Amino acid sequence: MMEKHLPIPQKEARLVMAHMYVAFISLLVGGLMGLLQTFVRSGSFDLPFGIGYYQILTAHGVILALVLTTFFIIGFQFALMSKTVGLSDKQRLSAWIGFWTMLIGTLLTASTILTGKANVLYTFYAPLKAFPTFYIGLALVVVGSWIACFTNFRQLAVWKKSHKGEKSPLLAFMVVINMLLWFIATLGVAATVLIQFIPWSLGMVDTINVLVSRTLFWYFGHPLVYFWLLPAYMAWYAIIPKIIGGKIFSDALARLSFVLFLMFSIPVGFHHQLTEPGIDPLWKFIQVVLTFMVIIPSLLTAFSMFATFEMAGRSKGYTSLFGWIKALPWKDVRFFAPVVGMLAFIPAGTGGIINASHQMNQVIHNTIWVTGHFHLTVGTTVILTFFGISYWLIPSLTGRKLTKKINTLGIIQTIVWSAGMFIMSGSMHIAGLLGAPRRSAYSTYTGAEQVDTWIGYQLAQAIGGTILFIGIVLMVYIFFYMVFGAPKGKASFPIAEVSEDAEPTPQYLENWKLWIGITIALILFAYTIPFIDIIQHSPPGSEGFENLIR
Amino acid sequence: MKPEQDNTVREKMVNPKQDNTLKGALISVLLLGAFILISWFIVFGIFISR
Repeated sequence: MMEKHLPIPQKEARLVMAHMYVAFISLLVGGLMGLLQTFVRSGSFDLPFGIGYYQILTAHGVILALVLTTFFIIGFQFALMSKTVGLSDKQRLSAWIGFWTMLIGTLLTASTILTGKANVLYTFYAPLKAFPTFYIGLALVVVGSWIACFTNFRQLAVWKKSHKGEKSPLLAFMVVINMLLWFIATLGVAATVLIQFIPWSLGMVDTINVLVSRTLFWYFGHPLVYFWLLPAYMAWYAIIPKIIGGKIFSDALARLSFVLFLMFSIPVGFHHQLTEPGIDPLWKFIQVVLTFMVIIPSLLTAFSMFATFEMAGRSKGYTSLFGWIKALPWKDVRFFAPVVGMLAFIPAGTGGIINASHQMNQVIHNTIWVTGHFHLTVGTTVILTFFGISYWLIPSLTGRKLTKKINTLGIIQTIVWSAGMFIMSGSMHIAGLLGAPRRSAYSTYTGAEQVDTWIGYQLAQAIGGTILFIGIVLMVYIFFYMVFGAPKGKASFPIAEVSEDAEPTPQYLENWKLWIGITIALILFAYTIPFIDIIQHSPPGSEGFENLIR
Repeated sequence: MKPEQDNTVREKMVNPKQDNTLKGALISVLLLGAFILISWFIVFGIFISR
């Protein structure tokens, strides 16, 4: 049965656009910080006006990895929900409350970083200690995002009530999965921020249990990656097929892969702590195995994408083994940007498997390989898909057209981004294998020989970073042109239909109690015993260190 | 009439198969799997040699 799609009234468009403004301004500010970092690490640039390296490193991580992504995703998801299940006045009001709560939190955290009171990087590892407003701001961002979560849950619940016995729209199902994942994951970071960091930074307690805080952070930190990735998958599964003139390969497969991501992206945080003392190696290994389970839905997605492309090409008459590749609309930026993102996910996902491979993690742990890895995942796959989404979402919300000129500029932007990232991330990967550390400012390490093998790659990172910044400026220009400059008109909001050949979707895929139950059971299995162990065998807590690095 | 009808049936049976073949997708995913394995073993080699 075909899904019905609703128009997005202006009031709802304004809500989505509010999120987009924050996202694209963050892109510019956070990107500039990244550019400055690569300059410093090249060894030939000093930051002016007493600005510290770790200050801009913290700003770069928080503004891009937390602010840009969260605002874009929540805005995009509201657009999808409005289109598929609708948004009532009451729900819109709660969405706005969520938005303002997140924005106030963002401004609080960002101003604390920019005044140099929070040089703690985006992972805010204890015992590095920031001024309390850094943590309070972060807590507000999380609370605001929870309001968005529950608004989305309510939207689907209301729709279900009035459509008894019907399968929920695929995109609404995906949004709810992603928000469930986000809610369950952020419970960990909320716990450490509220129970540990805020009382400690306010001076109410003297010490902090470092391992507990890091474990709770990574309980959140890994599913965070999937919170970024799943909205990109929403576009790949349900929007790209429409853009290429094809259909969704299988509704059931798309739902199954999202359910598997929900179950297997949370009980895996230990793979970020593989070199950490104080965690039983057996439980690290168990979480490594659970991490590898995520490969299944990832490969399901890869197959589904190739199948969608092949089916679309064959329906247009291309019969040879790979002839269907020619049928794809390579000159349409709405396809080109995300598909380049998909291709980047091949080395990105491979790097992730290497990172999580238990003892093998020692080869790359804390090296700049890891930085190169997540600049491929979130910095290329996710962000290029988000750019690809913007080319149709922004014009369709602002009542303007995606012009030929912007389409061409978008393709140039994608090429610039890919070239910059190939140079920057590629050199990060190689330098990492040679032992170059991440998270650190430029240093000759008292003239150690090994350092000479890194410097060429660090220069390459500055070159790649500069090209990427040109890409950022181009994208911000494109965004504002699509909002204010493009000619008035109508842009489509592409949502694909499911292929007639696809098997019907089994009802159990919407058994929320079952999937949430398994997710919670897996989390309890993976964390209960090691967490009790960590608390029982903790060393004394640590005092805080303010401005230890700057 | 009969032979004609048979042909139609045969065409209907053959054509959907040709249209729906996903050999390209399967080979693409296998190549992807090979890329993952090769990369993994390269880093495994580094791990063993250090």
